[in-house]
Amino acid sequence: MTATVNSGASSAPQKRKQARSSIYEIPQRFVTFVILGIAAIAVAAPFLWIFRGAVTPTDRELYELPPSFPLDATIGNFFKVFQQVPFAQFALNSIIVATSITVLQLITCSTAGYAFARLNFRGKNIAFAIVLGGLMIPLQVTIVPLYLALAKVDLTNTLWSLILPPIFSAFGIFLMRQHFLSLPNELEEAARIDGAGHLRMFFQVMVPLSGPALATLAIITFTYWWNDLFTPLVMISSVNQETLPVGLVLLAGRYTTGSLGTIAAGITMAIIPVLIVFIIAQRWIVQSIASSGLKI
Amino acid sequence: MSTESVRGNGGGVLMGTTPGGEKHSAPKIGAPKSRRSKRRADGLAAFGFLAPSGIGFVLFVLAPTLGVIVLSFFNWNLISSGTFVGFANFVQLFKDPHVLAVYASTTYMAVVILAINIVVGLLLAVLLETRMPRWLRAFFRLSFLFPFVVSSSAVALIWRFLLDNDFGLVNYWLSFLGVPHINWLGTTQWAPIAVIIVNSWKTLGFSILIYVAGLQGIPNEIREAAIVDGANAWTRFWRVTLPMLSPTVFFLIVINTINAFQVFAEPRVLTQGGPGDSSRTIVEYIYDTAFGGLQIGYASAIGLTLVVLLIILTAIQFRLSRRWTFYQ
Amino acid sequence: MKHSTKRIAALLIAAGLTIAGLTACSSSSSPSSDKGKTLDVAYWNYGPGAVSDNNALKKGFEKENPGVKVTLTPVAGDGWGDYVANLAIMIASGKHPDIAFMASEGVKFLDQNNLLLPINNYLKTDPEAKKLKADIAPSLLKAFSSGNDIASLPNGFNDFVIYYNTALFQKAGIPAPTGDWTWDQFQAVAKQLTTNGTYGYAWTGTEIAPGVLPWIANQGGNLVGKNACSATANSAPVEKTYDYLEGLIKAGISPTPPASNDLITDFENGKIAMFGAGRYVIPTMLGQGFKSFDITRYPTGSTYQTTLGASGYPILKSSPNPDLAWKFQKYAASAAVQDAEIGTPTAPFDSIPTLRSTANKTVAAGIPPANTKLYYDAVDNYKVLTPFPGPARYTQFAAAVLQDTQLIFGGDDTVKQGLDQMQKDLEPIVTCSN
Repeated sequence: MTATVNSGASSAPQKRKQARSSIYEIPQRFVTFVILGIAAIAVAAPFLWIFRGAVTPTDRELYELPPSFPLDATIGNFFKVFQQVPFAQFALNSIIVATSITVLQLITCSTAGYAFARLNFRGKNIAFAIVLGGLMIPLQVTIVPLYLALAKVDLTNTLWSLILPPIFSAFGIFLMRQHFLSLPNELEEAARIDGAGHLRMFFQVMVPLSGPALATLAIITFTYWWNDLFTPLVMISSVNQETLPVGLVLLAGRYTTGSLGTIAAGITMAIIPVLIVFIIAQRWIVQSIASSGLKI
Repeated sequence: MSTESVRGNGGGVLMGTTPGGEKHSAPKIGAPKSRRSKRRADGLAAFGFLAPSGIGFVLFVLAPTLGVIVLSFFNWNLISSGTFVGFANFVQLFKDPHVLAVYASTTYMAVVILAINIVVGLLLAVLLETRMPRWLRAFFRLSFLFPFVVSSSAVALIWRFLLDNDFGLVNYWLSFLGVPHINWLGTTQWAPIAVIIVNSWKTLGFSILIYVAGLQGIPNEIREAAIVDGANAWTRFWRVTLPMLSPTVFFLIVINTINAFQVFAEPRVLTQGGPGDSSRTIVEYIYDTAFGGLQIGYASAIGLTLVVLLIILTAIQFRLSRRWTFYQ
Repeated sequence: MKHSTKRIAALLIAAGLTIAGLTACSSSSSPSSDKGKTLDVAYWNYGPGAVSDNNALKKGFEKENPGVKVTLTPVAGDGWGDYVANLAIMIASGKHPDIAFMASEGVKFLDQNNLLLPINNYLKTDPEAKKLKADIAPSLLKAFSSGNDIASLPNGFNDFVIYYNTALFQKAGIPAPTGDWTWDQFQAVAKQLTTNGTYGYAWTGTEIAPGVLPWIANQGGNLVGKNACSATANSAPVEKTYDYLEGLIKAGISPTPPASNDLITDFENGKIAMFGAGRYVIPTMLGQGFKSFDITRYPTGSTYQTTLGASGYPILKSSPNPDLAWKFQKYAASAAVQDAEIGTPTAPFDSIPTLRSTANKTVAAGIPPANTKLYYDAVDNYKVLTPFPGPARYTQFAAAVLQDTQLIFGGDDTVKQGLDQMQKDLEPIVTCSN
């Protein structure tokens, strides 16, 4: 029952056509689209409000019921964001931090995931249980000892204090392990017969087959750390080292008297880089799946 | 938590549909004798492959966790010198009426959030697999993933406005459906539901993403064989798709359970845990105790209870999973 | 990169050290290498204004004192409690600023943890201070103290007043309030203003002041007892206040307190005719061109007391240069600095100046509202609520009050039940024994 390597998309369409003859097909698809449509609208609606807020000149218009699209839409809120906080600097910091963490995690998680899925060694079960244990400890508890330790080596208030702690990711290892578990054994056997060592096996056999899994991990990691507010709030005490989520908090201000329109503009701009990563990664997922037909 | 057995129980029957077995003939579990020598050789390699994560684990998980364990025996407010208090923080846990109340609300919200992610997430992911134009699929996928890409606290700020009792948009639109104003954030009945809605809204996209990836990994031959066998969509789902998807389901249950017990940003921004403790999560309580009350020792002790609880829950999930997960 | 791998290696050892050093790392005062010429000022970076204001302070002070170097340490924080916690973590890691920005909420925290260097002696001996002190309302210093220890010269404050929409008052044919009104009169006016789509009065559910505190003060009560060392949540004045406020909700005059604290926009849109706030709301309103509002006092219950919160730059005990720090504090509260902050009628200062002379200049500058004089008069001519309900564990205190208040106003608890619960929750939090 191994995933057959060349089961690609090529054979799918013609087979699917056979199923089309069913008389239930049309109403079924209608119901499907209605459900998906309603769900998509419900999920996306708050964003319409955010985007509308970003181009609405005053909060007064924004709060009006019923809501309508502002006829006097402006891009003034975006300028206000740059006026009020060093947004470009924050964005740059966020890009550095999220990208570094993503790259590091792709390495640490794929290697560890491979070891847990494909290698046999003593204490594997215990080691994996410990890895999962790493998921259970909320950051809100460990942040105090972590801060004190990082302060001892003068890393607090640097981007390192944001980049280094997440290099171990229990979630990522778990995800990659599940993926490597699902790869067919035959590949391994064949490579072994060719005399491949572990390194070659990993880089030439396993990694090329791991596009979708790595892309998924990349999206999740990048997004998660892009949005992390808690760590920079504690670790960073210098304005030009802060990241975007902190910038959004700053826009809200001391008595939360900041303009919602400006905050909405800030959120809108903070979404864009993540969307770009997502679109790239999604294409990568689709392509990889089409060529390998493998699962996570 | 035997990973070996999870891995090893594959290969077997899948409800009588075993198509495309051409490459299947090679024994999966490997001959016992070759396994032994391989194990020794793997040891060194495993060490190498685990090293990058291992360093991170020791420095950034193990060391701080040991710190937390030590702190849990101290009374310390960060400023004055800490005093060793033995098990006093753990004794206080049992005297503190809020701990139980907070665990109750956390569990309530976590169970619902988990159910929504697993069930609704699967439903939407399966529906996404329906034949449809490419752009439409991309549109749906993007909409579902949208909430996942924005920062929780920023978005909770917006939701706080949307869910307002008197001036919020949600109640405004609901009033057209004849629903009387719901005090989403101000009553013990609705506040946890508001947290559930906002958190699920945020996390669902992630679950769908993992489901979709899992679904796309199911070899077409298997589904097609089922179609040829004349199974209808319903039967195909239960007898083919779901078993094939079981590792993904399992993964999502484990991860979503842990995440659902660690919800933090939503209650903090939306309701501050109130009214009473009705929408307070344990992590928010830990945060309030540590950052609001500067009772670092006590917060560490509460944190450790959560760790133990999650370890037990996960161990149970792994044990149970042997009965129902299916690995290729 | 090579350098940082070394650092990482040191990290694990450091983690062990930290734990071992848990009991030791606190009280040792850090030696300053700069022979009394460097001043480290920690401040709360709550938003765009904080950075520019503190940079201006630094530059001004360095210019006045050549050879002195001021280093600024912005401390982030998503809310007041977060700032204090982050400051405490920084101190725990061995950094000891000379000065830390503090608001009334944190004074007791500093004092109880033996961090605060009170300025009582400076006030007595420094002739310049006498001049400043004469220009500051006495109640401001009293409200910025812990017991008899005066924390700092305040450089800004907010007192809570009622904001009312003048257009709505005109429309309803109600004369502008003079501030001399009783709770019953207030309720009658609020009821008259209540129409379909407009609430007569609203208060936020996310802050205790404004919110319930100014009302409690006007019943002669408080949420804490003497010196903020005990809780008095189920005392008679508090109960009377909650009964009254619950009555406003039940009569449909007030909404259940919203979980958002931005009532400003709803006020501008005429959905709320009156609400309570400090002066911090006016930059937002004036910035958006909204001017049809004025301010008045909260109605008088069994008494009238102004509720206020102040902020300043207290000196930390660990400072090796307390005299220089005092100089900085004085500078931050000086007329030169406060006058420069007044702002314009569209972009005013977000607090009330603590110097009477500067407050008068603000009135003269024609910054709305028309009754701007009240901001300072309210602390100069009336009694002020003391002690400020700011126990050392303020954040937990405020959270508990708000959560139990929600239970009452959301209809889950009766006033009596809710306040008894609040008292039970507050007792372990509000204490002066460590």
